[in-house]
Formats: sequence, C-alpha cells, structure tokens
Amino acid sequence: MSAAVTRIAREEWRALARNRAGLIASMLLALLVLAAALVSVERRNAIESERARYQASVDHQFDEQPARHPHRMVHYGQFVFRPLSPLAFFDFGVDGFTGNTIFLEGHRQNSANFAEARQSSLLLRFGQLTPAFVLQNLAPLLLIFLAFASVSRERERGTLRLLLSQGVDGQRLLMGKLIGHAGIALAIGAPAFILLLGIAASGGAEWGAGLLLILGYAGWLLLWAMLAVLVSASVRRSRDALIVLVGVWMVGVVLLPRALPEVAAVRTTLPTRIETEVALHRDLKEIGDSHDPDDPYFNDFKARTLAHYGVARVEDLPVQYAGLVGMEGERISTDLYARAAARTAGLEAKQAGFVQSFSALSPLLAIRQLSMALSGSDMGAHGHFLDAAERFRYRFVQALNQMQVDQIPNTNAGEDPRIAAENWKTVPRFSYTVPPPPGLSDPRVLPNLAVLGGWLLALVLLALPVARRLGRAAR
Amino acid sequence: MMRDAAIDVRALRHSYGQREVLRGLDLRVAAGEIYALLGGNGAGKSTTLSALLGFIRPGSGSVQVCGIDPATAPQDARAQLAYVPESVALYDHLTARENVEYFLALARAARDRGTVIDPALDAVGLPGHAWDARVGGFSKGMRQKVAIALALARHVPVLLLDEPTSGLDPSATLEFNRLIETARDRGVAILMVTHDLLSAVDVADRIGFLSEGRIEEELVAGAAGARFDLNALHARYTGAKVSG
Ligand SMILES: Nc1ncnc2c1ncn2[C@@H]1O[C@H](COP(=O)(O)OP(=O)(O)O)[C@@H](O)[C@H]1O
Ligand SMILES: [Mg+2]
Repeated sequence: MSAAVTRIAREEWRALARNRAGLIASMLLALLVLAAALVSVERRNAIESERARYQASVDHQFDEQPARHPHRMVHYGQFVFRPLSPLAFFDFGVDGFTGNTIFLEGHRQNSANFAEARQSSLLLRFGQLTPAFVLQNLAPLLLIFLAFASVSRERERGTLRLLLSQGVDGQRLLMGKLIGHAGIALAIGAPAFILLLGIAASGGAEWGAGLLLILGYAGWLLLWAMLAVLVSASVRRSRDALIVLVGVWMVGVVLLPRALPEVAAVRTTLPTRIETEVALHRDLKEIGDSHDPDDPYFNDFKARTLAHYGVARVEDLPVQYAGLVGMEGERISTDLYARAAARTAGLEAKQAGFVQSFSALSPLLAIRQLSMALSGSDMGAHGHFLDAAERFRYRFVQALNQMQVDQIPNTNAGEDPRIAAENWKTVPRFSYTVPPPPGLSDPRVLPNLAVLGGWLLALVLLALPVARRLGRAAR
Repeated sequence: MMRDAAIDVRALRHSYGQREVLRGLDLRVAAGEIYALLGGNGAGKSTTLSALLGFIRPGSGSVQVCGIDPATAPQDARAQLAYVPESVALYDHLTARENVEYFLALARAARDRGTVIDPALDAVGLPGHAWDARVGGFSKGMRQKVAIALALARHVPVLLLDEPTSGLDPSATLEFNRLIETARDRGVAILMVTHDLLSAVDVADRIGFLSEGRIEEELVAGAAGARFDLNALHARYTGAKVSG
C-alpha cells in the first residue's frame, strides 16, 4: 500500500483524537458496550442461579410427594427451565419474548409451543441493553457521525484541491479515508471484541462462536464506515451526506426490521391460541372419545387389548385398563399437538423466511440473525429446547401412566388407590444441555456472513467510480 | 514538439456547460520568470490554473507543465508544481508545522523539520510562536503564509499562485515579493494571478491581461527602475475590467 494511503488514514485518526465531540461520543459508546455487557452478564447469571434454585426446589417438591395415584402426579405437572447459553449475555435474542420457563403437564403439550403464549415468560423478561443492541443500532450512528464529513468537508473547505495538487490521486485519497474509518470502526467494536475473546479465553464460551461473532460485527461496522465515507465522497455538501446517511440508518436499522415482521404477519397469519385449541379439540373428538361407551375408536382399542391379553372382559385384564386408555389417549393427543406445533412452526418459519429475504436490503437482518444464532438465543435455540421439553413431557407422563397400568389394581382398587412415594424417584428427570453454537457452515451463519460480505464487496466496487470522480471534480 | 517554457498554454478553450470561459488562451512562462496574470472577476484566471493543475479537462488547445500534459498525466504534472489556492484552506486541527509536514508527506517531498519546514515558515515571516499553534486560530494572512511556505518547501520548478497576496498586509506583501524573486532567481517559473497591481509591477517580468477568454495584452518589464508604467497600467486594468 502506498505511503500516501496510510498517511491519509493515520491523519483521520489524528483528526479524531483532536475532535473532542467525536472522542467523547466514541468513549460513551465504548462505555455503553461495557455497561451493557456487565448488566447483561449479571442478569444472565442471576437468571441461571434462579433457574438452578427453582429447578432444585421443583425437583425436591416432586420427590416429596406422598403416596398417590399416578394420574394425580400426571396432573401435578412441573416447570422446566431452559439453561442459557454462555453467550446469551451478548445478545438476548428472542429470549425476552419467549421466556425460558415452561410448564409441563399431562394431556396437553406445553402451551409455549403455541404462538400467543410466547408473549409470556414466567421468570423474567429481558431488557434490551445488550452489547448486540448497542453494536447493531447505536454504533452505526456514531460511525455516521464520525465519517459523514470525511471527504465532503475537504471539498467544502477547499483542502481537497490542495491535497490533490500535491499529487495524491482520487483513488489513494479515498482508500486512505476508507482505511482510516475502517480502523475507527474496528476500534469502536474493540471493547465488545475484547470481551468476547476474553470470555472464550477463559473457557466461558466456545472460540468458534466468539470468533464468528467478531467476524460478523466487524463486517457490520466496516460496512457503515465505508458507506459513510463513500456517501461523503459522492455529495457536494456534508449536510447532504448526513441527511442521506441518517435516512439510510432510519430505514435500514429502525424501520425495515420493525415493519417487515408486521408485513410477514399479515401475509402469513398464525392461528391464535384459541383457534389452535378448538381445532385440536375437534380433531381429538374426531379420533375418539374415551369417555363415550359407544365410541368406535376406543371400542376397537378395547377389543384389540382384550385380544392381546387373551381375555374376554375388561375386568379380567392383568393390567389396569384405565391406565392403558390413558396411555393411548396421551399418544393420540401428543401426536395431534405435535402436528399442530409443526404447522405453527412451519408458518413461523415462513414468516421468518420472508423477513430474512430482505437481508440483502437491510443487512441489519443478517447481523441480527447471525448474532442471535451464535449467542444461542434465536428461535432455533428456543425450538431445540421446546422439542427436548416435549419429548421429556411425553416420557414423563407415559412413565406415570405405565405405573398406573402396572401397579394400580384393575378392579376392586378401593376408594383411593395409591402407589408408594418411592416410585416418584424413578420417574425421568428433565435434563437439558444447551446445544453447541452453530458453526460456520450453519444456514444461520454462512448466508448471513455472505450478505455482509456481499455488501462490503459492493461498496468496494462502488468506491472505484467514486474515486475517479473525486480525482477529477476538484472545483 | 520541443518547448522551452515551463508553462506552455496554447489556444486553450474551456467551457463550463454552455459558458465558454477560455477562448483560445496563449500563455508561456519560462523558467526563472514571474508572470503576473491580471483580469477582472470571473475572467477565467483560476480556470487557467485549474487547467495547469489537471483539475479540468480543456475542450481544446494544449497545456503543458514542464512538457507534461496535466490532463492526461495529472500526477506527473503535479509533481512539478506547487500551488497556492485562491482561498487558502488548511486543517484547522493541525498546527502550522503539522499542516506543512502533512502536505509535504503526501507530495512525497523532503520534510525534515530543521532543514525544510522551519526554514520555509521562517522565510514567509510566520512568527515562531505560531509554528506550533493550530491554524484554526490563524488570520487569513497567517494562513496565506503557511500555504506559501508549503509551496516554497516543495522545491519544484513551477509555482502557481492564485491571488497569493490577497490576505497580506503591505509589509508582508513586500516580503512575499522578495521571496518569489528568490525563487525566480533559483530558476522557478512563477505564474501569479493577482489583483494587486503594485505587487505585479514590483516583481513581474511580464504582465498579461486576461479578458474575453484570452490574453488581450501582454506587457514586458522594461529596464530596471521604471519597470512598468503604473498609471497606464491602472487605466488599462480598470478599463479592461469585465463586469461581474
Ligand atoms: N466549476 C465551475 N462550474 C461552472 N462555472 C464555473 C466553474 N468554475 C468557474 N466557473 C465560472 O467561470 C468563470 C470564470 O471563473 P474563474 O476562472 O474562477 O474566474 P477568476 O478569473 O475570477 O478566477 C466565472 O464566471 C465562474 O462563475
Ligand atoms: Mg479566481
């Protein structure tokens, strides 16, 4: 690289170092990143210890249940808690929306699987101030503020003519400005990057996810620095550059990411909770009603069961028939709920896909998805937890049903049949390990990095004609 | 074609949109010569300098700086010349020394403080206490001096000066005139756009009147003593002034 390029870049840094307003704004942003990190690490840890405490007390309460009918334990239900990924402090993602606690109970798949219930979270709702929020929303504004006049001011003040008359061409000049502001962009990201590296180095998080986050955010910040310099080089007055850049920020960072989900929701409507429940109830009725003595499905089930055990009457079965009916009912309803949940998930994926298809237009969508995925706080991470919880719920309920089948007398069980409290200790326990963060080739990572890279490439290509014009049009 | 003049402009035409500003301008400045270009506001003086700097691409005619066409090889041409713009613009956040050093660095010129920068600032008469002060607080004349110091420190064969004395007080103007005479005596070709008749009469070897897009009249300095007839010049200048 030519000496002039590096000299011009360094001159931008010296100018920033002597620009009190710029320096203060940059320091405030760095402080904000660190404060956000501290606050959200604190909050993440608080949630984690709450979770551990609650889970322990819930488990304890369950263990302490006296001898009972297993079916009462099915309805006893339980809370399960979602452990947070180590990087969740960096980006809360959808956690504030989905919560991280669900209630599991027999017969019904957990309600969090259905869209409307995603409004509520029992434990805590996360705030917004995370390093990701600051880097995504505020850092671009600061970069605009620092770079909007980088070239236009030289034109306005007349230093551009003097600069060019020294034999610097437009290309070197623009490249110097771009590199200077790229350096400033990286410096602005540095506190967050150092934080991520520190956490990875201390074994708190995976290196891969930390490095990919740094890569993504570096691209995001560079993109704004380049855009600001190029706009500054393309317009005649700094004021125009500022108007254009703030406009781009408003549309790309504020408006589109908020408007698109609304549009998506209008295009693809999700069924409401009530609609889902009604539909499920109808479907269940359609398959069979175990309480109806003339129900064809359950009459058939009875016949098959009797044939299986080689007896003629329900009273002669060696196992508890009501328990078998319960297990069959659970199987059917779980199947229906699973299908409904899959439908909802499909619709949600369609909505998300629609929004994401605009990431070429608003790279904020790309960095946002990338950031949430790598921080383990996106819909995918939440869905992984819901699946695990639902699989657990089924095993849990069926284990209790099996106890009923095996241990509750089929006939003459007395007023209030129970089984021993020791049984509760053998019921499966929920244990969930947070999945490892996505790698580079994950569909939530590579395409988004490609969008950011594509933007950077487009800006580099745009720089060529801008530089040519800059070299010529020195009035 | 072999040319002797360091600055050689022939039949230069240039239009801004519909407006033809230069209409066949001929101008030659030899090494070791000071040429004062006079003309009313909007006559096209700065445009002429822009053509020499390669900032504009002339419609027709030829322009050469030390045998180089600035329109096709602007970098090479600019390496041969130093320029003091009409309204001197420097970096307010840099000191006088830093400004000179920065521009010299971009010109890839020698910029040793002790042997290049400080002597240049000293030569233009910028008081020593101002050398390390940020130029943001400088008067127009002080800025002008920094820009002139920069141009002199480049040590190039051609100087293009656009109204260089416009911000200077009379004594500073006299000092400036001595400075460019020294440069001329070193063999530098100097093209100076000016409204300052006294100054032109004082130092110029030739004076050209730019009007209607060409050199309407050119006067050559006479023998030492009465170089130019100031009264006649004044009458000529005020009479030749185009409106606007
Ligand atoms: N970049 C430009 N675009 C359009 N018109 C210009 C431009 N630069 C100068 N002009 C016009 O050309 C004429 C000559 O300008 P200039 O060379 O600056 O005159 P001066 O002799 O005062 O230095 C003026 O009328 C001016 O308004
Ligand atoms: Mg002029």
